[in-house]
Amino acid sequence: MFWHNFKYSFKTLLKNKTLVFWTLLFPIILGIFFHLAFSDIEKKETLDLIDIAVVSNDAFHENKLLAETLRVLSDDKNEQRLFQTSYVSLAKAQKLLKENKVIGYVLVDEDIHLTVNSNGVDETVFAFVMDEIKVKQKMMEAFTREETITKYSQGELVDYEKIYRQASQLLQQDTDVIHDISNQNLSYTMIEYYTLIAMACLYGGMLAMYITNYKLANMNCVGKRTSISPVSKGTMLLGSLCASYLIQLIGLLLLFLFTIFVLHVDYGNHLLAMILLACCGSLAGLSLGIVVATLIKTNENAKTGILIAITMCGCFFSGMMGITMKYIIDKNIPLLNKLNPASMITDGFYALYYYDHFDRFLFDVISLLLFSLVMMILSFHELRRQTYDHI
Amino acid sequence: MKKVIEVKNLSKAYKTLKVLEHVSFDVKEGEILGFLGPNGSGKTTTIHCILTLLRFNEGTINIFGEEMKPDSYELKRQIGVVFQEVAVFEELSVFDNIDYFCGLYIQDKKQRKQYVEEAIQFVGLEHYKTFYPKQLSGGLLRRLNIACGIAHKPRLIFLDEPTVAVDPQSRNNILEGIKKLREQGATIIYTTHYMEEVDILCDRIIILDQGKILAEGTPNELKELANIEEKITVEVTNMTEKIIEGIRKFKTVDQVMFEEGILVVTYHKGKNNLSQLVDYLKENKVVYHKIFSERPTLNDVFLQLTGKELRD
Repeated sequence: MFWHNFKYSFKTLLKNKTLVFWTLLFPIILGIFFHLAFSDIEKKETLDLIDIAVVSNDAFHENKLLAETLRVLSDDKNEQRLFQTSYVSLAKAQKLLKENKVIGYVLVDEDIHLTVNSNGVDETVFAFVMDEIKVKQKMMEAFTREETITKYSQGELVDYEKIYRQASQLLQQDTDVIHDISNQNLSYTMIEYYTLIAMACLYGGMLAMYITNYKLANMNCVGKRTSISPVSKGTMLLGSLCASYLIQLIGLLLLFLFTIFVLHVDYGNHLLAMILLACCGSLAGLSLGIVVATLIKTNENAKTGILIAITMCGCFFSGMMGITMKYIIDKNIPLLNKLNPASMITDGFYALYYYDHFDRFLFDVISLLLFSLVMMILSFHELRRQTYDHI
Repeated sequence: MKKVIEVKNLSKAYKTLKVLEHVSFDVKEGEILGFLGPNGSGKTTTIHCILTLLRFNEGTINIFGEEMKPDSYELKRQIGVVFQEVAVFEELSVFDNIDYFCGLYIQDKKQRKQYVEEAIQFVGLEHYKTFYPKQLSGGLLRRLNIACGIAHKPRLIFLDEPTVAVDPQSRNNILEGIKKLREQGATIIYTTHYMEEVDILCDRIIILDQGKILAEGTPNELKELANIEEKITVEVTNMTEKIIEGIRKFKTVDQVMFEEGILVVTYHKGKNNLSQLVDYLKENKVVYHKIFSERPTLNDVFLQLTGKELRD
């Protein structure tokens, strides 16, 4: 009986063009859109240097922190180079700004002064870097002052050069930390691909919902026919759900293959673990589909709408339309993302990317399996010996 | 004869609306029982209750001597249902549809293949095996629907208005098929609001209206209930109240109706009613064109019992 249901459910699902489109083709098409939209942005982000000018006076050369930071950020050997810097006189800097050859210039006297022409992304980045330098300078000054007072109060000789070296080292450590993390920062495109996979996993729920509706007498005539057959709903559904899971996995495999070989997405070193996570995610999607089919008492179209809404909301909260949303939810309503399968999937992907250990990844895998188990228990319990008040 | 179905005191209500009220009846082995009633009379609800698809408030249902429950799989194995709506997978071919539903009852592949082929032959879909439902006409779809319901050779078959919206050719094909099923030994419950069909097919008829059984018996027994022996219809051009009153005075006349040039006279008994009426019309110089006499129909029975037409 299992194989009989498996075989015909597989045929039924594969011959439904709408389902095939949404579960197999749509994620691939969306992947192509992401590729077209975001890969260009990233290239632009890495290639476009910001033209700035620095008034090369004595005060600038004395401010070692500023001079060194700008040197590093303008070094053409540096892969994270940000600026194309011209060291010029004040008059020349003003002329370059007027002719729009630079977006702004820095003048150092007792303080660091920044002059820009307009408000834009480049100007914001320039201003941000300058602010960071100012903050660090203040930190160094504060450290030096505190150390000097401490040494003085202890009656020790104040070695200004030593204190300055210590402050520089501390600052260097701080910069290193920032540097390391920035190296591991996920690109925006990767975040989108992760959410895309999560969405594809959950979209598989449509297959499960569709095939489950065929077992419910209050949904359609075929449901009536299957409900009066001498086979328990659980037995019938098991074969059908396995068929829909197989189609989901085929869809995911196609999505992985397409993104890797056609869109050249680099998923890093943990591809197998990612696939394992996606399989668990698909199971969660499938169980979500059965729950919507069995527990929500409404017509087929409304159920489809509800499932898509749940999926899209889940993806939205997990960061599909902007990673900030995931952080906001994590900070303010952590339970929501703990129960959100899309978030569990993307979180697992981030865990694989960021951490050397698998603890968090395994936590996400187990969470997805538990989510699936609970949803399935609820659904099968609802289906058991089901009769209706009206059909 | 053994009782295949025993329904006792079956009642069902949707909140305050009573849809079945103390319905009780038996179905004997090998008979065709007709459920006759207008739309919404409770025919399909009764079947759904018997099949345990619907919950009911009161009553007991036994099939083949055993209480019918949602998990009575051995009983379900012996039941076939042809629903009012076409219940097939749009995505599967004619053959696959029948094979799928038959496979829920028959595990043995070889036997199943034989049954499926026989069902296809039975409904005359031999040339449409690879067709998909959307490629079939309404009549052919109905035949597929029947094949899906009876392919596993059930002992008890429910046919819920299988001829609704079907062309005359397919309708005849379906009715012939039902007779064949009975010949093969199946017990059949046939619901319809077409009185001609139950008149031709059924051994016994139950007339339902507003969830209550109004009458039960063979077609002839029911027609006797109507207290009508004969009905004469005459197409006339001139008619007066005086002439109508004159007809009413005949001893055997039950009712006289005249509307839009059609005179209908019903008699509760009498042998020479037609000649007597013709003579009277001639005497009164009434010009008539068509005249015919007929036996009472089940619609007359229904009219007598409820005061309304069956298809109202």
